[in-house]
Amino acid sequence: MALGWLHWLPRLLVLGLVLALPRATTGEQAPGAWRHKTTAFAGSAGNIQVLGASKRSGSRARPVSGRLRHTGSTLGLVVPEMERATPLAVPLGQAEVFQALQRLHMTIFSQSVSPCGKFLAAGNNYGQIAIFSLSAALSSEAKEESKKPVVTFQAHDGPVYSMVSTDRQLLSAGDGEVKAWLWAEILKKGCKEMWRRQPPYRTSLEVPEINALLLVPKENSLILAGGDCQLHTMDLETGTFTRALRGHTDYIHCLALRERSPEVLSGSEDGAVRLWDLRTAKEAQIIEVYKHEECSRPHNGRWIGCLATDADWMVCGGGPALTLWHLRSSTPTTIFPMRAPQKHVTFYQDLILSAGQGHCINHWQLSGELKAQVPGSSPGLLSLSLNQQPAAPECKVLTAAGNSCRVDVFTNLGYRAFSLSF
Amino acid sequence: MSSESSKKRKPKVIRSDGAPAEGKRNRSDMEQEGKYYSEEAEVDLRDPGRDYELYKYTCQELQRLMAEIQDLKSRGGKDVAIEIEERRIQSCVHFMTLKKLNRLAHIRLKKGRDQTHEAKQKVDAYHLQLQNLLYEVMHLQKEITKCLEFKSKHEEIDLVSLEEFYKEAPPDISKAEVTMGDPHQQTLARLDWELEQRKRLAEKYRECLSNKEKILKEIEVKKEYLSSLQPRLNSIMQASLPVQEYLFMPFDQAHKQYETARHLPPPLYVLFVQATAYGQACDKTLSVAIEGSVDEAKALFKPPDDSQDDESDSDAEEEQTTKRRRPTLGVQLDDKRKEMLKRHPLSVMVDLKCKDDSMLHLTFYYLMNLNILTVKAKVTTAMELITPISAGDLLSPDSVLSCLYPGDHGKKTPNPANQYQFDKVGILTLRDYVIDLGHPYLWVQKLGGLHFPKEQPQHTVIADHSLSASHMETTMKLLKTRVQSRLALHKQFASLEHGIVPITSDCQYLFPAKVVSRLVKWVTIAHEDYMELHFTKDIVEAGLAGDTNLYYMALIERGTAKLQAAVVVNPGYSSIPPIFQLCLNWKGEKTNSNDDNIRAMESEVNVCYKELCGPRPSHQLLTNQLQRLCVLLDVYLETESHDDSVEGPKEFPQEKMCLRLFRGPSRMKPFKYNHPQGFFSHR
Repeated sequence: MALGWLHWLPRLLVLGLVLALPRATTGEQAPGAWRHKTTAFAGSAGNIQVLGASKRSGSRARPVSGRLRHTGSTLGLVVPEMERATPLAVPLGQAEVFQALQRLHMTIFSQSVSPCGKFLAAGNNYGQIAIFSLSAALSSEAKEESKKPVVTFQAHDGPVYSMVSTDRQLLSAGDGEVKAWLWAEILKKGCKEMWRRQPPYRTSLEVPEINALLLVPKENSLILAGGDCQLHTMDLETGTFTRALRGHTDYIHCLALRERSPEVLSGSEDGAVRLWDLRTAKEAQIIEVYKHEECSRPHNGRWIGCLATDADWMVCGGGPALTLWHLRSSTPTTIFPMRAPQKHVTFYQDLILSAGQGHCINHWQLSGELKAQVPGSSPGLLSLSLNQQPAAPECKVLTAAGNSCRVDVFTNLGYRAFSLSF
Repeated sequence: MSSESSKKRKPKVIRSDGAPAEGKRNRSDMEQEGKYYSEEAEVDLRDPGRDYELYKYTCQELQRLMAEIQDLKSRGGKDVAIEIEERRIQSCVHFMTLKKLNRLAHIRLKKGRDQTHEAKQKVDAYHLQLQNLLYEVMHLQKEITKCLEFKSKHEEIDLVSLEEFYKEAPPDISKAEVTMGDPHQQTLARLDWELEQRKRLAEKYRECLSNKEKILKEIEVKKEYLSSLQPRLNSIMQASLPVQEYLFMPFDQAHKQYETARHLPPPLYVLFVQATAYGQACDKTLSVAIEGSVDEAKALFKPPDDSQDDESDSDAEEEQTTKRRRPTLGVQLDDKRKEMLKRHPLSVMVDLKCKDDSMLHLTFYYLMNLNILTVKAKVTTAMELITPISAGDLLSPDSVLSCLYPGDHGKKTPNPANQYQFDKVGILTLRDYVIDLGHPYLWVQKLGGLHFPKEQPQHTVIADHSLSASHMETTMKLLKTRVQSRLALHKQFASLEHGIVPITSDCQYLFPAKVVSRLVKWVTIAHEDYMELHFTKDIVEAGLAGDTNLYYMALIERGTAKLQAAVVVNPGYSSIPPIFQLCLNWKGEKTNSNDDNIRAMESEVNVCYKELCGPRPSHQLLTNQLQRLCVLLDVYLETESHDDSVEGPKEFPQEKMCLRLFRGPSRMKPFKYNHPQGFFSHR
């Protein structure tokens, strides 16, 4: 019953825990809407047990263990500000000033968790990839050094916009090329690339960037999308580019894979979300989000910055408001009232987590209610990563990165535990 | 009655038996004999037990006789008188016996006493003897320990070791066959050998002394010769002066300066020597001179150089002041402070000439009691400069040399010992006196060869030539670049204040030909104001906004858009770049926290500054950064996506050639200018 990943929480904290129920637990919701109730109590043995009464079809309350549970935004925990930057008294020389400026202007675009679940790779705008040890940072004897990268290496010339991990490799992409690194070697600090591939681009003055990588495990292939408005499919076995899916009129921001059918969603700067059937390599559906009045926001532009899908549902945001769509009927179901453009969105259990401009991670009920806003340390967030590797249940955390050199770590969805830093 | 009478009779009978009579006779015989020998002899013969029996018997008899007499008397009668008489006689005899016995007892007592006394005396004598013997033993033991503890003087003499002794001593002293077994003889022999050796050494010493005497005499003679040479040489020197002047050889002048230099305190001396040497070897434009009164210096250093011991020195001074007069406490402290901060009367002037004929005058002072060097700087230019308002601090003597090396503000004393001295006289920090005294920069101490311990406790504070020499070249070069960059800034500020960003021709390629945004304001702001700006938080938190930096506010405008730029200019400009923080007022307020492109613009000028440095020594950096900021603002405004819902033409039509408008997840605008083609692309 014990939540393994919460073991590190000091017992004192647990004993002093005051838990409040989430606000959105009223029973007067429309039928079909998910109701969600969370009760948590502090056990005397120092564990937290979470009972989730998930009422989709009137099932009995059952204890949910080992799952990342939201315990309410008004959690009565007082967490000290750990990484508050204190002004340095030491005057700096040229190299130090340059380093400080570089850190100050760093943006972390992408994150990826290692297959073992204990390490997190983060790629920044200088083309560097840093590997953090989550297990060391989360252990009870974590020091300041364990929140620094285990290893940092120069991966690309330009920014590292996207990274994914296969069961052996870390794939990173940014400036038109995708590169593969062996996780085992990275951890041994031998950072030599295994291979690099460039999709067949039409000649241009500027090499188009790659904004999104997507693994299709069933086909053992990788989909790349970015600056040249196409989706390129690469066979991971042979390393050849098999298909190019054309249709977008501007560059592609994001990709999402539908779990059951081999379909891929892509969101683009042109304001459209396109649904591709991988079997026929054809476009199956177009949703032009900006054309729907309820979610269009012309002053922000049309672009679709983030995309996530779950069964028949799709959530996308960007210039237009963050909107939940029902794919089969292609109608917007819920429009989330968030002014700032969102840069990353993901389904998590019965919640939608989104982040973008502003330093908060937004937790949404599917009904469109804002359940919580959890502040992070960066002024703007670009990527969220949920470490759900079954190999390392103790490292099950949410990490968020964006316009700073810090990667915020949330051991509990309710508050930022600490930050990893470049 | 009858029985009684019989009883009375019985003794009579017995007596009449004659046996007692015999005894009586015997006794009487003996009494007669007592004339010849004393009763004492008789005592020895008799048994005391029997005497006691006799005494008892006699007493009984007497009792009986008395009773009989009484009986007779009470009866009365005629013949009674006779019987009584008889009985009386018998009693008398018994009395005699009793008397005898009494005497004997006395004698026995006396004898016993005598015997006891005799024995006692004997015991006393023995006791006395024992006492004497014990005392004697003790005395002997004392003597023995005294002997054992006796220290011979020879033990203090450091003798040669045994092996050496047998090896070196001649056999007639060592006598190996005798001394080997007998340590006493051995020691004696060794002592003999020691004496022998010492005699020899004494002989040698005498020889050496006489030698020395001889040499001294020789020296005396030579000295006399040399001193006789001096006036002659002087006269030759005098005679050669006109020749020197005629041939432009300033030997004499240099000599005079060196003569003065002798009176410099050690750190200034080191500085003077090293600066002169550096000037002669590497940099002809460097001139070094000594200023101040030599006489005062001479007076000061009558007791030869105890600058190391300044602590005691100042103590002595304090005592003097208290003796002289008793002023109020405040005045006294003031005097003490003045004393503490006293400068050496001599100072070293170093003039650095830069390429454009501007001069940096450095005057180095030595604070005697604090044992630190200070410097005052002054910049003079060839032409008169028009001083722009914002350039006020650039060339001020107070700040022109600040942070020549990172962190060297010259406001604190580099000598840790000073703090204690300050505590004594109530000086909080040196900061308040710096304007008067000059700045005690760390590099100045190093030029003077003074090295104060910083973190590692390893150095001693002595004037060290090698330290000074190792720092001279870099410091002089830094000083020159500092002055040049300050002068360059000075010039640039003048035009910046008029809204012109001066771009030299060799930096022209960095920017497109047409830049619409204009700099409209360039003002200096206070450090506190900078800290309070809402968009400079990051810089303050990163520790990049120290109070030694210079702060400016630039305003760039294009149409309705106003871009504020808060600028931090590090004193180490231009090796350390100015840092910009932006705030755009156009359709709301945009800063790096709510607009990724503003953040990108900041990193374009702050992080990618290296391509803006221009030709060495990169004095164009600040103006190039400002110009790039104007270009960036143009790009930002022209590429801003047009809101279809708003009627009318765009305020800023796109004039710049861009490959793409946005790129990447954070939708960056194409801020990078590609020179020959003239288009903008993404970095």
